[in-house]
Amino acid sequence: MSCRAPHRPCGPRDARSLLGLVRRWPLGRIGLLLYVVVVLASNVLIAQWQKAPPDFGESYTFPTPTHPEPRATWVRGLDVAMLVAGLGLGAWLALGRRTRNGMLLLSIGTVAYFGFFRKGCICPIGAIQNVTLSLVDAHYLISYGVIAFFFLPLVATLFFGRVFCGGVCPLGAVQDLVLLRPVKVPEKVDRWLRWLPYVYLGLAVWFAGWGLHLTLGGSEIIAGRRFLICEWDPFVDIFRLSGPFHMLVIGAVFVAGGMFIGRPYCRWLCPYGGLLAILSRVAWKNVQITPNKEVDCGLCAEACPFGAIRQLRADRATCVACARCYQSCPFEIERRGGPSAEVQLARLVRP
Amino acid sequence: MTDHSTRRQFIDRSCRVLGLAAIGTAAGLLAKRASAAAVYQVDPTKCTSCDLCRTSCVLSLSAVKAVNDFEKCGYCMLCPAFMDVTSMPDERGIPTGRVCPQDALKRRVVGDVDPDDPNNNYYEYVVDESRCDGCGKCVKACLPPAGNGSLRLEIRYDRCVECNECNIRIVCPDSAIVRVEVPGLAPTGHGAVSDEL
Repeated sequence: MSCRAPHRPCGPRDARSLLGLVRRWPLGRIGLLLYVVVVLASNVLIAQWQKAPPDFGESYTFPTPTHPEPRATWVRGLDVAMLVAGLGLGAWLALGRRTRNGMLLLSIGTVAYFGFFRKGCICPIGAIQNVTLSLVDAHYLISYGVIAFFFLPLVATLFFGRVFCGGVCPLGAVQDLVLLRPVKVPEKVDRWLRWLPYVYLGLAVWFAGWGLHLTLGGSEIIAGRRFLICEWDPFVDIFRLSGPFHMLVIGAVFVAGGMFIGRPYCRWLCPYGGLLAILSRVAWKNVQITPNKEVDCGLCAEACPFGAIRQLRADRATCVACARCYQSCPFEIERRGGPSAEVQLARLVRP
Repeated sequence: MTDHSTRRQFIDRSCRVLGLAAIGTAAGLLAKRASAAAVYQVDPTKCTSCDLCRTSCVLSLSAVKAVNDFEKCGYCMLCPAFMDVTSMPDERGIPTGRVCPQDALKRRVVGDVDPDDPNNNYYEYVVDESRCDGCGKCVKACLPPAGNGSLRLEIRYDRCVECNECNIRIVCPDSAIVRVEVPGLAPTGHGAVSDEL
């Protein structure tokens, strides 16, 4: 024990530290030694307490724990193939055959497969978040399926407009199927509400990529990364036939409201619909009710539950290619072998 | 009119080509980072068997199940994960209570059977997956030093619907739900990836 600096009270300083205590006090060293021995011994004891698997000899062989494999690659591929087939079929039915019944059947098929069979996952709306997270965080493993689900409908929209919304999206399809008595929403309200998807998109992207770190008046609000779109998806719990109570209530409200208001989620909330609305503005082909002739009868605008017909033309951004307008168009009815358009219109005019 | 529509068509076409190029670039960029298939799995080194796997899975019966690693299991007669060691013992001194609320942990005598003394026998413990709800009570009870730690929670892919975002991952307080590549086995140290979400 040396104390070379006499101007400094060194004894108490050394005594304060445990090492000093051990150095100065011979019993301390013994104590340390004892402690080490006890720790080692207890480890050995615990190791002995933990039994090794018994040696059964011939009488028993260890079963290997099973690990069910994730769905095979071809099954994942099947989802993508169904998506491609749906998009192609939707484009053909809505733009080529111009048939409402066809779109109806496609919607039923979509709800059955992507909805109830696949339980709403994976969907392009939610894939926004996976893509965001993958771009932000290079460690996040994104699967090829999610990439395909996110980008294929975008490509399809550039070519054929929002046929994805019209018949391939299970959320859209379920709203389309429950629509019984569409009520017109005032144009002004509709136009304002149409900004909501972009607000939601911004929120969802922000939460998926970065989460929330806010300091509000001294209190810190921290929420980790979350997938808001999936958490607040009103229909996915209907497809799964189970879910948290508040989501089931919200789902019921959307279904009940959707009976009278055409596709409330698609028009005023869906962030992916917002993306598609931008792309469909420059679509190669889109719904054209009467390409060569028009009679200004306005029956198509009357028939459209989504307010997507402006100045007797299908608005490219809003039209979801549900094909309802064809059903009411006198020229379309004539083309299908019904009475001639003039006769139909005359019937309308007559009191 | 024709002049206007051709200009309009030109703008449309340019936007379309631009859009396609942008989509192609973004998809290509992502595809570089993508894996053939990424799935969610429980990282047993982080899991604390908090019971949220049972309540948070989107399925009514959670896709998370307890799995017994037979190579690690002690085949004990007095298994702390099987019987509640704090419960009333019967006349032979064996606890009567069970740990599993679902009665999903089953056991049977294996090896050379001593019919006279049950304490002298070995028991094989198997999880009945049609009953197990992933609460993790047995996993907790099997932890060393009471047990060998042979039980762990695992996401079973025959049930998992592979959500865009795992609901359990959102609530997991230990960030124990991680993303792994197919075949999606539980990560052992270095296998764990991107646990932050």
